Amino acid sequence: MGDAGVKQTVSTPDSPAEQDSLFSMTDLFLISLITGLLTYWFFFRKKKEEVPELPKISPVASPVRDSSFIEKMKKTGRNIVVFYGSQTGTAEEFANRLSKDAHRYGLRGMAADPEEYDLSDLSRLSEIDKSLAVFCMATYGEGDPTDNAQDFYDWLQETDADLSGLRFAVFGLGNKTYEHFNAMGKYVDKRLEELGAQRIFELGQGDDDGNLEEDFITWREQFWPAVCEHFGVEATGEESSIRQYELVVHTDVNMSKVYTGEMGRLKSYENQKPPFDAKNPFLAPVTVNRKLNKGGERHLMHLELDISNSKIRYESGDHVAVYPANDSSLVNQIGEILQTDLDTIMSLNNLDEESNKKHPFPCPTSYRTALTYYLDITNPPRTNVLYELAQYATEPGEQEQLRKMASSAAEGKALYLSWVVEARRNILAILQDMPSLRPPIDHLCELLPRLQARYYSIASSSKVHPNAIHICAVTVEYETKTGRLNKGVATNWLKNKVPHENRSKSLVPMYVRKSQFRLPFKPSTPVIMIGPGTGIAPFMGFIQERAWLKQQGKEVGDTVLYYGCRHENEDYLYREELARFHEDGLLTQLNVAFSRDQAEKVYVQHLLRKNKENVWKLLNEGNAHVYVCGDARNMARDVQNTFYEIVAEFGNMSQPQAVDYVKKLMTKGRYSLDVWS
Amino acid sequence: MVPVPGSLSSAELSCFTCSPTDLSELLKKGTKESHDRATNTQFVKDFLKGRIKKEVFKLATVALYFTYSALEEEMDHNKDNPVFAPLYFPLELHRREALVKDMEYFYGEDWKEKIQCSEATQQYVDRIRHVGQHEPELLVAHAYTRYMGDLSGGQVLKKVAQRALKLPPTEEGIQFYMFENISNAQQFKQLYRARMNALDLDKNTKERIVEEANRAFKLNMQVFDELEKTGLSLADEAQDGGVPVHDGKGDIRKCPFYADKLGGTAGAGCPYHTAMSLAKQPLVQLILAAWVALAAGAAAWYVM
Repeated sequence: MGDAGVKQTVSTPDSPAEQDSLFSMTDLFLISLITGLLTYWFFFRKKKEEVPELPKISPVASPVRDSSFIEKMKKTGRNIVVFYGSQTGTAEEFANRLSKDAHRYGLRGMAADPEEYDLSDLSRLSEIDKSLAVFCMATYGEGDPTDNAQDFYDWLQETDADLSGLRFAVFGLGNKTYEHFNAMGKYVDKRLEELGAQRIFELGQGDDDGNLEEDFITWREQFWPAVCEHFGVEATGEESSIRQYELVVHTDVNMSKVYTGEMGRLKSYENQKPPFDAKNPFLAPVTVNRKLNKGGERHLMHLELDISNSKIRYESGDHVAVYPANDSSLVNQIGEILQTDLDTIMSLNNLDEESNKKHPFPCPTSYRTALTYYLDITNPPRTNVLYELAQYATEPGEQEQLRKMASSAAEGKALYLSWVVEARRNILAILQDMPSLRPPIDHLCELLPRLQARYYSIASSSKVHPNAIHICAVTVEYETKTGRLNKGVATNWLKNKVPHENRSKSLVPMYVRKSQFRLPFKPSTPVIMIGPGTGIAPFMGFIQERAWLKQQGKEVGDTVLYYGCRHENEDYLYREELARFHEDGLLTQLNVAFSRDQAEKVYVQHLLRKNKENVWKLLNEGNAHVYVCGDARNMARDVQNTFYEIVAEFGNMSQPQAVDYVKKLMTKGRYSLDVWS
Repeated sequence: MVPVPGSLSSAELSCFTCSPTDLSELLKKGTKESHDRATNTQFVKDFLKGRIKKEVFKLATVALYFTYSALEEEMDHNKDNPVFAPLYFPLELHRREALVKDMEYFYGEDWKEKIQCSEATQQYVDRIRHVGQHEPELLVAHAYTRYMGDLSGGQVLKKVAQRALKLPPTEEGIQFYMFENISNAQQFKQLYRARMNALDLDKNTKERIVEEANRAFKLNMQVFDELEKTGLSLADEAQDGGVPVHDGKGDIRKCPFYADKLGGTAGAGCPYHTAMSLAKQPLVQLILAAWVALAAGAAAWYVM
């Protein structure tokens, strides 16, 4: 392009003709040329280069990048790879957990989808020091591999690779009800050995028909010691355990950004916005809180929550969920025993940046708030918590005891059962009874499970009380083997929610969870309600509703109640209300059993038996619906057995036929349960 | 009225253990064969194995959208009609809103313009409309066929879909399968059956309902077949023309060709296409033109 020689800088004009302008023609030309070239370079050239490159990288399994797990392991410093043959994600989850475990033993693992890699690289795994390949293989259908393991399966069958130098172990996921139980797991285990690989731990065979999770945990707990023995590493938690979260203490924080007990959005308790649900509970003022029983040691109560202006709707039979708070004295004691200032504002941030769960509970917040509103501090801790805490016990005997209780050895399990579970030791009790155990409070906050909402069957009908939700509950309080007094979190918290003139003093964060416990569609259908003790709750709602329907002029069928309590003069709940309904003719039958008012125990099932002819008539001719509410363990079972008896006798059936009949009633929604244990 | 023990014939005896008049039982028995046939179609078998192309899954979601929109509209119209009222559970069951969310995820904000009702789906929709408007006593058959299934096997499909299509763990794309207002599917089905049995129907109507349910299964299978065919033709397309830049294996997110995440708007593909579309943009063209002009000017200057 001619003489495009580099000119002087623009401040020095070249020819007399251009002395007056800042740039000469030549300079202008050069500048635009350079600009043009640069424009071309940055906007176009790069892309054109990329296009031809890409076809090289893709499909064919090339040594570069993704398809070599060996390269990936080397790059990220891993020595253990856990492949998973997974269809619904269970095997994948197990693989992830195993790869995370490796940390504990100074090893580094990664989970891998066999479909994404070239498995023939297994012969190269020995290039990595202390390497190990683990396989979590699910069996699908007729002994088939899962989809993502199909290629691996094909390769295993066809190959004659030499896998000597490869160490492996296999955990199979299967189901004993299928003919080819764990076929895939068994095949991989056998075939790898045939190809020369070295098995370092026996094949695990999980059974989904039994308890797959337990099978996995049991296998895993023996697997790792075997691995450690093989590699000569320490199989203990002597090394610092893996924290999932990192503590950040805030010294200078804007208090308006700190959580004070909300479940979801910050300040959602100050600025309440419908719709209200589990993540956004409504703060309902308590308008009534009265004791229901007239005597005895227990405390049974009736509460009314005001839901006006909340847009919350409910139907009788639904459940109300409440978010309780832990007893402040319990929280304070934990703070004292761990010598922490509970009002420190902190955040626990997830070290895994890719995780969706940034914090274990809403952060930033204070330890006090966390222990009061977010964490469960009253249930006996699970074994994994004890395992993690063990490292903080300075006295060897205590540390050993903690490790033992967390192990899967029979002796350890028995110790855990008696010392923790049966003795009902909560975390404070454990800290008190093990004086050398003083974990940092933030690690404890990471380990404790979240405080769960509690559900109560609503004891009112929305037709009669559209703006209120009634609760009927008994406070839980008992003395443990260690002489401590344990109290139920929610029931004691509710007990202390006394109505105030200033309504904001007694608020209950709540929401409604729809249930399927419903009155029959047609009011004329008879109902048999069986609800001793606090099991009467939903039936108060049912009865109120039937009364309302009658008022509306509808034809209402037989409304039969079987109720039970200990003493007529002590804990006969809603006695007056029920008497009134009975007098008004709405409650067709009011059958009450007082279990402890005479020598022999009399329960609801005895009353049912006494009325068996009538019960059968209602069931068989009246098309009645049966409802059972209350204790799951004994009462529900006893009542069900009584129904089998009645059906067998009056329906003239054998026992198995009677059982079938009742089961059919359940399937067709004519025998419903709202029970708890 | 207590039967004398031993006086009943076995026929009468067996009547105590079954209620052949309950609609819920008539439907279950009467559609068993159709149900088995439907779950054994190639489409469903493949789906259960996780063998489903993303494009086909999207089209299936579209089909569901049209079907449930029609069904739920007809149910809304009949909510006070005693032949349907006991089964009206909009809060618990209705899927339309969830399907709209899934459509937004798969097709973007302007999903409405991108979708159309396929032939088999239209036939299904037409039948639902006819029933809703002219034979509402049969509407229960359609509700039963879809919702009971969704609450049963549908839950398995959700997990399979999530895995097979590598959908995000935050549950986008499968909102259809999530019944947020049903805490216990089994209990809800029991309630639903009680409601079906609360309908006042004569024997003839019950038989017609069973017949309609079988028809519903058939219409569903026609949609499956259509989806199956579409899936096969899609496979053919991928094989001819163009650089096979992604063979369908492995984690698509790691593929350098795909600039945006899964499920994003269609169109943004490999850099070559990006460059070409870039070249079509006015600013780029301006720079190009300016540069050409300068170069031309320079050439002219040099020559003159």
